[in-house]
Amino acid sequence: MSFSRAAKTVAVLAVGAAIAATTGCGGSSGSGSGSGKTTVTWSTWGNPEELARFKDFEKDFGKRHPDIKLKLQAVPSYSDYHSKLLTQLSSKTAPDVFYVGDDFIGKFVSAGVVSPLNDKMAAPDSKAKPEDFFDGLYGGAKKDGQIYGIPNDANPEVLWYDKQALKDAGITEDPAALNAQGKWTMATYLEMNRKLKAADKAGSIFYNWYGSTYSMINGFGGKVYDGGKFVGNTDAKSREALKTLADGYQNGTFLVADNLPEGNGSDVQFIKHKAGFSAGGRWMIDTVKKGQQDNYDIVPFPSQTGQLMPQTVATSFLALNKNAKNAQAAWTFLSEFVSKDGQTVRLKGGGNAVPSVKGADSVVMEGYPAHAQTFVDARDGGFANYPEEAGVPELTASINDLLMKLWTGKVGFDQAMNDLGSLVSAKLR
Amino acid sequence: MTTSTLSRTTDARRPATETPERRRSLRGRRRRERWWAALFLGPQLLVLLAFTLGPLGFAVVLAFMKWDGLGEKSWVGFDNFQTQLSDPTFRDAVLNTLTLGLITVPVGLALALLIAMALNNVRGKTIYRVIYFLPVVTSSVAVAVIWQMLLASGDLGMLNNTVHDWFGITLPDWLNDPDWVMVAIAAVTIWSSLGLNVVIFLAGLQSIPAHLTEVARIDGAGPVRVFRHVTLPLLSPTIFFSFVVAVISSFQAFDQIYVLVDPDHNEGARTIVYQVYDLGFKKFEFGASSAAALLLTLMTIVVTVAQFGMQKRFVHYES
Amino acid sequence: MVTAIRRRFGTVALHTLLIVGGLLMMFPFVWMLLTAFKSEGQMIQDPLAWLPDPWRTDNFPDAFDAMPFGRAYWNSFYIAVITVVVTLLTASMAAYAFTRIEFPFSRSLFVVFLLTQMVPTQVTLVPLYVMLSKLGWIDTHLALILPAIANPFAVFMMRQFIRAVPIELEEAARLDGANRWTIFTRIVLPNIKPGMAALGIIVFLSSWNSFIYPLIFLNSEDKFTVPMLLASFKGQHGGLDYGMLLAASTISVVPMLIAFVIGQRKIISSMAASGMGGR
Repeated sequence: MSFSRAAKTVAVLAVGAAIAATTGCGGSSGSGSGSGKTTVTWSTWGNPEELARFKDFEKDFGKRHPDIKLKLQAVPSYSDYHSKLLTQLSSKTAPDVFYVGDDFIGKFVSAGVVSPLNDKMAAPDSKAKPEDFFDGLYGGAKKDGQIYGIPNDANPEVLWYDKQALKDAGITEDPAALNAQGKWTMATYLEMNRKLKAADKAGSIFYNWYGSTYSMINGFGGKVYDGGKFVGNTDAKSREALKTLADGYQNGTFLVADNLPEGNGSDVQFIKHKAGFSAGGRWMIDTVKKGQQDNYDIVPFPSQTGQLMPQTVATSFLALNKNAKNAQAAWTFLSEFVSKDGQTVRLKGGGNAVPSVKGADSVVMEGYPAHAQTFVDARDGGFANYPEEAGVPELTASINDLLMKLWTGKVGFDQAMNDLGSLVSAKLR
Repeated sequence: MTTSTLSRTTDARRPATETPERRRSLRGRRRRERWWAALFLGPQLLVLLAFTLGPLGFAVVLAFMKWDGLGEKSWVGFDNFQTQLSDPTFRDAVLNTLTLGLITVPVGLALALLIAMALNNVRGKTIYRVIYFLPVVTSSVAVAVIWQMLLASGDLGMLNNTVHDWFGITLPDWLNDPDWVMVAIAAVTIWSSLGLNVVIFLAGLQSIPAHLTEVARIDGAGPVRVFRHVTLPLLSPTIFFSFVVAVISSFQAFDQIYVLVDPDHNEGARTIVYQVYDLGFKKFEFGASSAAALLLTLMTIVVTVAQFGMQKRFVHYES
Repeated sequence: MVTAIRRRFGTVALHTLLIVGGLLMMFPFVWMLLTAFKSEGQMIQDPLAWLPDPWRTDNFPDAFDAMPFGRAYWNSFYIAVITVVVTLLTASMAAYAFTRIEFPFSRSLFVVFLLTQMVPTQVTLVPLYVMLSKLGWIDTHLALILPAIANPFAVFMMRQFIRAVPIELEEAARLDGANRWTIFTRIVLPNIKPGMAALGIIVFLSSWNSFIYPLIFLNSEDKFTVPMLLASFKGQHGGLDYGMLLAASTISVVPMLIAFVIGQRKIISSMAASGMGGR
């Protein structure tokens, strides 16, 4: 009957360990007030490489501000991060400074959980003045002239193209060269897609998000919003664009990146020359460098005329918690993080984004890809979703869900257009 | 302790033919029994009260409110329930959830029982047990990658590609077709939970005293009869447990789906718990989210009560 | 003679079936193991390939260097062990009370226990978080251990196993004047060892794999658990370095396999010890 004795021993050990664990944690979780330092907590998502860059920034910051102690709460994935942030916000325990994705910022602004920043930004010693940042990037973080979040960096969505795949499909013209001549039109682009399809490749790979979809609509000369009203389903050219996309998705000219299997997804397809174009931001450098990197270059989304049209830009924001314990120290951190110097530290040497702040473009022009200038141009005139849409939580996501049914052929075109109209008008009210 | 020769207090129900002293001692014993019950139940009950029932109560109250998780809460009565019940997405989620349960529970348990029976006495059982347990410990990333590559459509997927090359048959796009995705999810669910059920059944089989099956065999019963009349009744408490738990967990399906497909892209994969998550953490409607969760709870209660009702007929207990 | 042949045929058929089923069960695990040795280049050029070419062993040290795995390992391990020990003891105690002690509202209370498992954790997460933060337990491991101990499924499972213990054994002990606690530790526990071993495996696994609670409740990197580190290998845009990711996964799986092997051996050997088992 050694069972009970063994069980007792283990139980006693376990309780002991539990007590040790608790008291140990209690000791270290003190806010650091005893050491005379101000603690600023902040949170973000990111992979190990990104986190390493954040730690570099923290180290630099610590040297400049020995009185401020930074505590990072990192969550790996984007959606998990926002679940956690929401939980923390609802119990008023969110970090002092936090990242917010462009699809969440509108909600946080209207709920009043993030601090207005205009006054702080405009202060004479501010390291982040309102005009330091490209105006189109504020998106849902700007409401009635008040700024509630600063774009920490930007990722204009461009078309990466595979020279080898184009050549295999008998395409002799270079998209970037056409673009330089002002001849990069939607018609030319669609013709290339047709040839790629005929050569048994996919024309283009898109993620199902507003960026690619609205760029295509704009490229047809269509409109998504007109005078605050959604016209994406009524405007003739917009409909033509959506119809072209739907047909293309169904016959395999276009692929939905979201629906490709993990491990054999858009990255793999693109590197294996099975697709001509793949829409994405600067983060794709990492991917294409795994193939023959000189084989890849970038071009903006084509327009109806061949002239550069406004491109969509994916952004996220750094926001200040309205209940931040040390708002001043928190702002010091926030402003330096998004400032020119801060972004340079984070993005130099193969960073995965484009600065959202003016005067830091040298980090983009490091020599790759050949037409890296396109990133800069796309951002300069770019925009982070339409204000009509960014301000309404979950609207973008609902539109994407609905369009996915159209892309996969689960809903007919006319039906989808009707649904789209009623969905948007219900949400916009 | 008690000097009584009677082992259980059920005797207290006996007609009062006892003497007053006897009755007093009975009452004392009953009181003592309650103390014992409190002592034994205490730890679980206290933790449950503190960390589960509190949040649960909050969720119940929230179901009658409108709350975006950030601002003020306001009372809305039964609105959230009405909205959910009339929402076609919720109804589809209920159907999807039931479909998943109807496939995974019977197939999963029957397979687990068969495998446990086979593994109970076969030679090399340890290695087999480890192998059949591997899906349980395989990381969800590996599960996601391998099953997605296996089930993807066209020439991207191993299964569809092979079947098309060999037999010229085009299989459905398992992961992107709303009509088929539940079949794929059910297969992966069964595959990944089989190992745990086998472990439970093996433990149950090991608890059956060997002499009982031995006696039946000596009496000339064949393996089928031994299974039917000895093993199955004695294993029935374990089977009942697995049955109840399997139903409850199939109603709570979320993780294995999220690994395989994004229900936002494929409405056929939306389960009730996904609806709960989506309403709360993505749409900021925590009241509606709670209401959907409570409707799920209600549905689970009905099914579980029915299971416990059937228990008397099918489950054999020592007494 | 005929029965011998038939039996042999049956054995062969059984093994054939078990092996075919086994292949089906193990192939993702094997794929995980093999991919842990693949280079990134191979994953891109031929994602459907089985064998690594070339074999790359650096994935393992690389994974270890990328994240503080040593610390996370210890965290996950001791959290799981405490959870298992305390759950096994308290759940079988509660199960004993539900099965063998008469007290008012016994059945209703059991129903309440089960009921708590029918509410998805997604709706209790926020209130639980609020509660833990009021207690000051956010960013401590206590926030993971204590709530996990209340485990109605464990109570239910132990209840089923205790009900299968012949009541006569208990009655005999009572005759000898044993009290409830003695009966529980000396008679009941030894007889439900297979069930406890199985439950131990299950609780260990669910603690080791637990993802959403640690993710929400822990903030400091030195308190992170293994699944949180694994998740961080996957960036926002997927990523292709499955070799390193699956090397890390492989490392994380080892403790679960050990727990299983120990646990399942207990399921069998305990029977011989208590004199009930057959083989």
